[in-house]
Amino acid sequence: MLHLSEKPHFIYTCLMLLAWVSQYVSLSAGFELNHSLTYIWPLPHELTSGNETLTVNPTLSLSLIGKGGNFKILREGFRRYKRIIFKQSSGVSIFKNLRRIRSIYDISQMRIIVNSDSDELKLGVDESYTLFITKTGGKSTAWEAIIEVNTVYGALRGLETFSQLCAYDYTTKSVQLSKAPWYIKDKPRFAYRGLLLDTSRHYFPVDVIKSIIDSMSYAKLNVLHWHIIDEQSFPLEIPKYPKLWNGAYTKWERYTVEDASKIVRFAKTRGIHVMAEVDVPGHAKSWGVGYPDLWPSTSCREPLDVTKNFTFDLISGIFSDIRKIFPFELFHLGGDEVNIGCWDNTPHVKQWLKDNNMKPKDAYKYFVLKAQEIAISKNWTPVNWEETFNAFAGSLNPQTVVHNWLGPGVCPKAVAKGFKCIFSNSDVWYLDHLDVPWEQIYNAEPLEGIDNESKQKLVQQTIWPRAAAAAERLWSTKTALSAGNDTVLHRLHYFRCLLQRRGVQAAPVTNYYARQPPVGPDSCYWQ
Amino acid sequence: MGKMGSEMLIYVLLLMAGVLASGQSSQVKIWPMPASVSYGHTHLYLTNDFGFSSNYGSEILKDAFDRMLALIKLDHVIDANFSAFNSSSLLQGLHIVISSPNGQLQYGVDESYKLIVPSPEKPAYAHLEAKTVYGALQGLQTFSQLCYFSVTSRVLQIDMSPWTIIDQPRFSYRGLLIDTSRHYLPVPVIKKVIDSMSYAKLNVMHWHIVDTQSFPLEIPSYPKLWDGAYSPSERYTVADAADIVSYAQKRGINVLAEIDVPGHALSWGTGYPSLWPSKDCQQPLDVSNEFTFKVIDGILSDFSKIFNFKFVHLGGDEVNTSCWTTTPRIRNWLKKRGMNESQAYQYFVLRAQNIALSHGYEIINWEETFNDFGNKLSRKTVVHNWLGGGVAQRVVASGLRCIVSNQDKWYLDHLDTPWQEFYANEPLTNITNLKQQKLVIGGEVCMWGETVNGSDIEQTIWPRAAAAAERLWTPFDKLAKNPRDVTGRLAHFRCLLNQRGVAAAPVAGLGRAAPEGPGSCYRQ
Repeated sequence: MLHLSEKPHFIYTCLMLLAWVSQYVSLSAGFELNHSLTYIWPLPHELTSGNETLTVNPTLSLSLIGKGGNFKILREGFRRYKRIIFKQSSGVSIFKNLRRIRSIYDISQMRIIVNSDSDELKLGVDESYTLFITKTGGKSTAWEAIIEVNTVYGALRGLETFSQLCAYDYTTKSVQLSKAPWYIKDKPRFAYRGLLLDTSRHYFPVDVIKSIIDSMSYAKLNVLHWHIIDEQSFPLEIPKYPKLWNGAYTKWERYTVEDASKIVRFAKTRGIHVMAEVDVPGHAKSWGVGYPDLWPSTSCREPLDVTKNFTFDLISGIFSDIRKIFPFELFHLGGDEVNIGCWDNTPHVKQWLKDNNMKPKDAYKYFVLKAQEIAISKNWTPVNWEETFNAFAGSLNPQTVVHNWLGPGVCPKAVAKGFKCIFSNSDVWYLDHLDVPWEQIYNAEPLEGIDNESKQKLVQQTIWPRAAAAAERLWSTKTALSAGNDTVLHRLHYFRCLLQRRGVQAAPVTNYYARQPPVGPDSCYWQ
Repeated sequence: MGKMGSEMLIYVLLLMAGVLASGQSSQVKIWPMPASVSYGHTHLYLTNDFGFSSNYGSEILKDAFDRMLALIKLDHVIDANFSAFNSSSLLQGLHIVISSPNGQLQYGVDESYKLIVPSPEKPAYAHLEAKTVYGALQGLQTFSQLCYFSVTSRVLQIDMSPWTIIDQPRFSYRGLLIDTSRHYLPVPVIKKVIDSMSYAKLNVMHWHIVDTQSFPLEIPSYPKLWDGAYSPSERYTVADAADIVSYAQKRGINVLAEIDVPGHALSWGTGYPSLWPSKDCQQPLDVSNEFTFKVIDGILSDFSKIFNFKFVHLGGDEVNTSCWTTTPRIRNWLKKRGMNESQAYQYFVLRAQNIALSHGYEIINWEETFNDFGNKLSRKTVVHNWLGGGVAQRVVASGLRCIVSNQDKWYLDHLDTPWQEFYANEPLTNITNLKQQKLVIGGEVCMWGETVNGSDIEQTIWPRAAAAAERLWTPFDKLAKNPRDVTGRLAHFRCLLNQRGVAAAPVAGLGRAAPEGPGSCYRQ
């Protein structure tokens, strides 16, 4: 069965030997929780803990108090987290009688107090929460968990933290919560904590997108930036222009309007915004499959034809269709990497430029600003990639949010000019750059950025665990962020194993290249 | 934003041309290909209240109905106006008729079925006939592959109706091995693997639970054994294991448990060091110590309460006996009994076999046991081939049964073995005698765990395991002589896996490789 002898993979064999040696060490050492550390990811704003270990009742009950106590999002969220926390103990136990099962639990009740009666999910919605694990008081020896929040979204963050305090204990066969009593007061450092998903270069089935959304909520990320369309494919249905999705890869690799709405609703129940992106005028070649008029010519297909009213009518049609799907106030207009060669080479465009006394780069500005106007008319705040800011900052609509990607130092400039900025410096926060290790991601500081964002290419193991490093940078306060990476590494190992337990394909932490398989046999907590 | 060079685009186009030009002889997209298929050329549409029914009340079927509906819908919103469809093209449900009332899953259970869409008697329904619930489950899998959500009609659609499919597996043992010792696999990960196996009609999950590196399973009779787990939380309770078995059974999948003795057992000694020959020489298990066999008896006794498959796997491979001769105590013991080390190996394996038999199991052993002392093995032994080709031939000639897993073709951890070789590996090579052919009970693809854990196991298994699954299910005459002919259909199945949330890797490229660049799922 083993194959070392058969295949002369010398290097592989060496790795195996190394792995064996390290595993031998770990057999004797084992992974021990370091009780001076807090295994919550990302680290909360403020906390105190004690040293009692409590058992948690699998039939944990919920009482909802306050004006916002009646929301479905909350009741469903509680049920979801119960499934996560008690996954282990739900199985069939034919051995139950053989063991003495402890039937008295320390924590049997959770109270959630929600002050606000609104469940509207807007940028900057209050995500703060206070979580107490404390004795119920009086003579009773019982404990309870109390989450106090302003909004249901704060409650979801509190439930996530609570779920990370709980762990199944294989000795007592029960879910335990250690280091009680707890007092945690928490809020995010940034209101925008994003992950980009690109469905043009590859189609992702709806189920895959949903599981990515679930995994984002485990790391308290809150914006899914959906880069829907690019030059390779146009997967989304646009009812006003039904031939646009002819640009999909195949007839199966598409999203209906209902699919998209469903994704947005699903994300909302996890407290996650969906920011749509329609990238113009570059990165839009796939539009012309259904409407070839949008191409400057059949031989020169990008950027979109700036001369035609049809181009802008169609953009306006797309925006009004998808405005109904995406309620989030930010909308991404792209505007990056526009190669204006086609405009200069195509006779009718060239003529139009001449008639309007424009150079190609003026036409680029003209296009971006016109698209901004259309977006604003649909009551959206436009977000644009940084090239627009670099080329004509003075003309951008003052509401514009500048999305950094080319390199460092852009956000300070944008903020100085009064723009908001999203930090995604591609040196450190592009997840498709597989050679960026998690420490660099963790240590990247958004500087004076207002909000921020990171980007992904492939699947769960490309996203995780590195995105978690950015998530802590975005959630936790600067001073709370652990100073030494050694203790962070320990906590990050723990979090990536937690992701795996929840079925998320988080790759090993310690490999140099991201999404690489483990190098040899070993414990999850060491790799 | 990140760019794709034009040469990459050309590469993708070439790839796609390759897939499209590969001559799909048939439009049937079912994987694995059924024994007999006929079809027409009309469309059917599933109504919004489409449902499953049966003449036979069974929890397993009821669960399967819910699962199948979810699998077919895949979360799409069905918003069509059904009044616009011709009522004769609407399908309201699928009715199942089961003729045998025995609901037990066991080795060799009848998995045949007959699927007619639509039923000639009741054209608004599809008709599925099976001897057993497990045949019905296979028929439902096939049905789920006929349906897809059409973005044109906005409903669940079936093309190429009417369909008549008569089907049964070629081999009764169609396995996949997972290894939870080299890396711990969380329970949800194992369940997902089981789900994905059912899509490809694989029916045995061989659980290689314990090995040198870790002992993750709870054994109530010897509670310190799982001290050999990697960490306190990388463990399976008995309840976890029972849950996995029942989850698999509901999907028509047997769980074959393995304890590999006497080699590959170093981790046992973490809790019970007396199982090691000595502190410095820790495997194989101490053959001279009665306690060793008491522990094996305890484990198999606990197993028999959880793992109710007919077989248990006792390993027996790659035993390096040098620790037995270098440890003075054992050397003396051997001398007293007049045994050399290879006789001691035989003694150990046969004694373990007897213990397993006493707990009601038949035995599977890796092929070294057959190669060394085949004529001594219990006649209830199934020999598990792995070292190379040609072994099955010798095993069945000796009258024993065999499972084929030759590592050059069916080891999933060999990332450089492409799916075409998985597809082309024929278990009955050079076996012509009909009686001997029957002794090859099937085959198994092996996902050894050195470099897989929850982050990459799915794409390392799929789509290559699917290629072997068709070899094991489909009648020999219907298998493609050249694997290239099924490329398009396999790509279709791999995209179906992706749609169902299984991280199957691109068909083009070696095991678990990421896509090379942008492109449609169907062309990568």
